[in-house]
Amino acid sequence: MMIKVGGKEHPWQKGMTVADLLKDLNDPYPYAVVRINGSVISRPHFEKTTVPDGAEIFLIPMIAGG
Amino acid sequence: MSEIVFKEIKTLQYERPDVEKGYANQTLYVNLTRPEIAVKPVTEAMKKIFVGGKGFDLWLLWNAVKGTTRWDDPENEVCISCGPLGGTPIYPGSGKSIVTTISPTTGSVMDSNVGGYFGPYLKFAGFDAMEVQGQGAGETVLFVDGIDEKVQIYECSGLPEDAYETSRMLTEHFGQGKPRNISVVSSGPGAKNTLIGCLNFTWYDAGRKRVRYKQAGRGGIGTVFARKHIKALVVRWDAVTVSTNRPADEEALKEIAKLHSHEIVELDPKQNEMAKIGTTHLVTIMDDFDLLPTHNFRYGQHPQTPNIGKEVYRRLFDKGFDGCWIGCTVACSHGIKDFVPMTGPYKGKKVFVDGPEYETIAGCGSNLGIFDPFTVTEINFYCDAYGIDTISFGTGLAFAMECYETGLINQTHTGGLELTFGNRVSALEVLHQMARGEGFGKVVGQGVRRMKSWFAKECGADEAVMKDIGMEAKGLEFSEYMTKESLAQQGGYGLALKGPQHDEAWLIFLDMVHNYMPTFEQKAEALHWFPMFRTWFGLCGLCKLPWNDIVPEDNKETMEPAKIMKHVEWYGRYFSAVTGRKAGPDDLISMSEGVYNFQRLFNLKMGFGTREHDALPYRAVGPVTAEEYESRAERYDKQLVEEHKADITGKSTEEKVSLLRTIREAMYETLTDAVYKRRGWTPQGIPKLETVKRLGIDFPDVIELLKAHGVR
Repeated sequence: MMIKVGGKEHPWQKGMTVADLLKDLNDPYPYAVVRINGSVISRPHFEKTTVPDGAEIFLIPMIAGG
Repeated sequence: MSEIVFKEIKTLQYERPDVEKGYANQTLYVNLTRPEIAVKPVTEAMKKIFVGGKGFDLWLLWNAVKGTTRWDDPENEVCISCGPLGGTPIYPGSGKSIVTTISPTTGSVMDSNVGGYFGPYLKFAGFDAMEVQGQGAGETVLFVDGIDEKVQIYECSGLPEDAYETSRMLTEHFGQGKPRNISVVSSGPGAKNTLIGCLNFTWYDAGRKRVRYKQAGRGGIGTVFARKHIKALVVRWDAVTVSTNRPADEEALKEIAKLHSHEIVELDPKQNEMAKIGTTHLVTIMDDFDLLPTHNFRYGQHPQTPNIGKEVYRRLFDKGFDGCWIGCTVACSHGIKDFVPMTGPYKGKKVFVDGPEYETIAGCGSNLGIFDPFTVTEINFYCDAYGIDTISFGTGLAFAMECYETGLINQTHTGGLELTFGNRVSALEVLHQMARGEGFGKVVGQGVRRMKSWFAKECGADEAVMKDIGMEAKGLEFSEYMTKESLAQQGGYGLALKGPQHDEAWLIFLDMVHNYMPTFEQKAEALHWFPMFRTWFGLCGLCKLPWNDIVPEDNKETMEPAKIMKHVEWYGRYFSAVTGRKAGPDDLISMSEGVYNFQRLFNLKMGFGTREHDALPYRAVGPVTAEEYESRAERYDKQLVEEHKADITGKSTEEKVSLLRTIREAMYETLTDAVYKRRGWTPQGIPKLETVKRLGIDFPDVIELLKAHGVR
């Protein structure tokens, strides 16, 4: 019942969305993108994307662009 | 195939200087008309004010052309320079060349940066920059041999038309069994027959045993090259080590290079995976945020976008190291092996395609309504082989497609081509026509600005509509980002020196997603700092990707996360270690400011560079049509009511489009005022006398130019 966020373990809860996770992390940085098990999820989908148990997650500070 | 014949026209034997603290301290001048080859010294003042790279190019070009010089006058030049940090093999992204010329599409000064080995090899061969003026009597190859210390002009015959074969054969011919010692610059038949020609810069991929390519795409530099009858520029140099650039402090350089290089190796796999998928990761992200140009920038999303997204290209890209310069750990220049085109001269033959990158996928894919990765790849391949800029091709053809779909032009004008969005066959045919200099392809190849005139004159198309939907500014086609919802990025495009290319500022996420700069003044500050810092990469021979496409993990804790100040400080240390000229973050900005303002003055010299030339087509600012408005009605209605306190009760869509337009156009003008003020320019957009004096660019001819425009 754990996930990994940026290499660090974090407790997982059933039905947890990306938005819930970011709230949990209490990280004020406005991430635009996260990567879950290789799939990139952009902010418009944070609230409807659930995090699977055991997922490996990277928070991407997507501020660069072209 | 006929035999290849090289006839020697002129040779200069020279004594190659050792590079010292990143500089060869001389430049190469070639005049193809006379013919003449000469070496010019680089002064300390040149290094102090212009630094190198684009700065040197601009200075050489400024002194070569008059305000009346047109792109096809022999006195126009193609200038190529690397920069003092360029050619460092241990620091990521240190192999860029910057090319400048007077552009056929804008009529003003153009710059384009490109990977490949040419710029570094040119410097190590003894020249910080080269300027090529005049016009060859026949097809010309210019060979700079840094090993045997000679520069030669050849007239040649029998070389193939396209860039791929030409570069391969010249690499073999001049390489003397060591193809890695060669870098070639070439264009192609499309560059000759359009105004949107690009240059292909090569490096030899020892792992795959083949010549690879990167493109200096923007503004028709390849067309100038072809008009000069230059078939190719070839440079030869030997092995490169960290000592080749003779850094002032090699140990300090190694230390800082190691930090940045290792950080990328550690973090890129966790972040954007550029070493595996290049810039293709942006496709679906842009789509998610309604920023991916679709159907001539009408919309920013399409349900079929995943078909041309990163997961598709992850499978298509050939595995292996793909750095366009030695030792770069970003290594994002991916390609597709054994691709078999369905059309054109390579139909049915296996080829290696260098790309596609994000811009090409968006420009030649979604913006044309083409959601097929193989067609995008084929367009990429032929654009490169023909020497055509993929961005201008995509944006130009998208405009023609919208004109066709809305009835502004028809099949009589397109020569029978059914030019609807998504028509892959027609898109490829237009491209092949460009290379042959035939039919409707020739019209599209003139670029959006000239297409608008042609459609008005020959087809009776509505000029006001075309002004709104033709995605060009200053005569340059837009690169591939939607700017409707980001005022700051409208400024990033409209207030850019050469035209709407994102290399000066990419502020969309900061502005639209993160709302980091809510006021006009904050946006203006960003439109000062970011263009200046991004300009600095072009002065030094660097790629900007290592700066902000891979971000330190603690970056979010910093005061100004968008600037990635940790990396900016590293770049200051890098500059100091190579040149011996002590520089911190603020110094990097002031170095750029001089060159940036000089380029603005160069625009003024060429008859541009004032406020009216910073205007944008309305499609870049807001919804042009009722259909566009209605597709995002909730967003626009909310903005009108909540942000602009407008009463929209009972208003028709057309009335709301008009109301929003009035508001948004006024906001762009307010932003323009704020940016000019921040940059030290007059309300007309001309650098003030005090600004040019502060920056040390108050040369007598600059003062005269300012006086002529009423600035004293």
